[in-house]
Amino acid sequence: MDQKTRDELLKLFQGKLNEAMKFYLETCTRCGVCTEACHVYASMGQIKYIAAYRHEIVRRIYKKYFKGRGKIWPSVGEARELSEMALEELYEAAYSCTGCRRCMVYCPFGIDTQMIMSIAKLLLIGAHTEPEILTLLADTSVEKGKSLELFKEGFLTGIKNLEKEVVKKWKIEAGETAIPVDVDGADLLYVALAGAHSIVPAAAIFNAAGENWTLSFFEAVNFGAFVGDPTKTKLILDRIVKEAKRLKVKEVCICECGTAFRVMKQLSGKQPFEVSSITEVHSRYLREGRIKVDKSKFKEPITYHDPCQIARNGGVIDEPRYILNRLSDDFREMSPEPKYNWCCGGGGGLVALGEDNLDFRMKSAKVKADQVQETGAKILTTACENCHTQLSDLNSHYEMGVEVKFLSSMVADALMQ
Amino acid sequence: MSEDIKVDKVMDLKGMPCPMPIVKVSKGIKDVEVGQVIEAITTDPGALADFPAWAKTSGNEILKTDQQEDLIKFYIERKA
Ligand code: SF4
Ligand code: SF4
Repeated sequence: MDQKTRDELLKLFQGKLNEAMKFYLETCTRCGVCTEACHVYASMGQIKYIAAYRHEIVRRIYKKYFKGRGKIWPSVGEARELSEMALEELYEAAYSCTGCRRCMVYCPFGIDTQMIMSIAKLLLIGAHTEPEILTLLADTSVEKGKSLELFKEGFLTGIKNLEKEVVKKWKIEAGETAIPVDVDGADLLYVALAGAHSIVPAAAIFNAAGENWTLSFFEAVNFGAFVGDPTKTKLILDRIVKEAKRLKVKEVCICECGTAFRVMKQLSGKQPFEVSSITEVHSRYLREGRIKVDKSKFKEPITYHDPCQIARNGGVIDEPRYILNRLSDDFREMSPEPKYNWCCGGGGGLVALGEDNLDFRMKSAKVKADQVQETGAKILTTACENCHTQLSDLNSHYEMGVEVKFLSSMVADALMQ
Repeated sequence: MSEDIKVDKVMDLKGMPCPMPIVKVSKGIKDVEVGQVIEAITTDPGALADFPAWAKTSGNEILKTDQQEDLIKFYIERKA
């Protein structure tokens, strides 16, 4: 690596060094409590997958180029030059970590691996060695925000074609629109994903609840966050914030996408609207009696996978349980409890890498498959697209014999008109 | 197949979860030569906005979009 490249990368590193990050980089006592906390290590048993080991890859570079404050400065651990080889190690550490933060809840100092890995991801972007597909996906989202007028018409036609599917689930009065788009003064802006499965059940439920809602032109997912690019993360987020302000909505409701929810909730700053996950909204409708569901619809035992970015990192834990207890008399919790739930193994952009890392995703999430099977449930439900894809892959790989379902589609299927 | 466009590869992306249609088409386009065409079939309504944005970003060209009631077909020429 030439000096110029190294200097540029170190500048990026420096930009990440706020007080919290310095604390994370200078505090680990190597107590080892986090060792078994990571699903990758727990499933595969290789030292390189221990959270503290991942930190060390970044910490060594920190030690070489940036002065530690030395409070509880680790006595062991080498300083390391930032080289091509170091970049390879950073890649391995960052793209085998889903950013689930399970290790963080075990660590006595609350050291945030996801934050430390964000340095690794940023250095990889700076060196142009990040996964190309994640950058392409992020750029596509940014482009959509810039040239909305070009894509608007096609999108509106696509949405119009879906309306009959919505009406099949919930009949509406003549003259009403099954999927309202671009409604100025709507109360709620729903931000979905590109697929019909993310739009149709949600629309039926909004209509059933008599919500004054409107569908966003943009997809919720933030690939800028997956690839760890703060500029793109903000650009992708801002498209939705701008739309919400333009339409003067009171609430932005994020579809079943964990990263989209966490980014909107934690990074959008103070705004004139509330941010909620679709699970919170559905639980609210049920509590307020705005929708009713038929408990006899699902007869098999059900378990729920808490998406890390929605539950542990987003605080939405009681709401899915409220919904599930209204849907079933046989809802079975996984063990351990939600805060310590195992990650599905597909977060942090890993699912988006497609078949390239399927083998790793399956091997590294063995503990998740076991956790699901221990419940004896036949229906495995969740509230995140990424988790749903990964859990479906695990279901086939480990022949788990469950049906993987979105929680929102279960609510829509059980709606009582 | 569209009458006036010679298709070199067909990709069935129906019902795939996010972001697989774009992930697959990004890979698939590299399997054909520059100047050749893939036909990508999807059911995602959002694809009508996502595919043109992807084509612009990746430097490829959508020659034609055939929008039927339940499916959408994109004819994409590899440019880069
Ligand atoms: S954030 Fe999750 S995947 Fe990453 S090291 Fe911690 S437990 Fe493992
Ligand atoms: S639990 Fe925290 S302090 Fe202990 S080794 Fe892991 S990261 Fe370091």
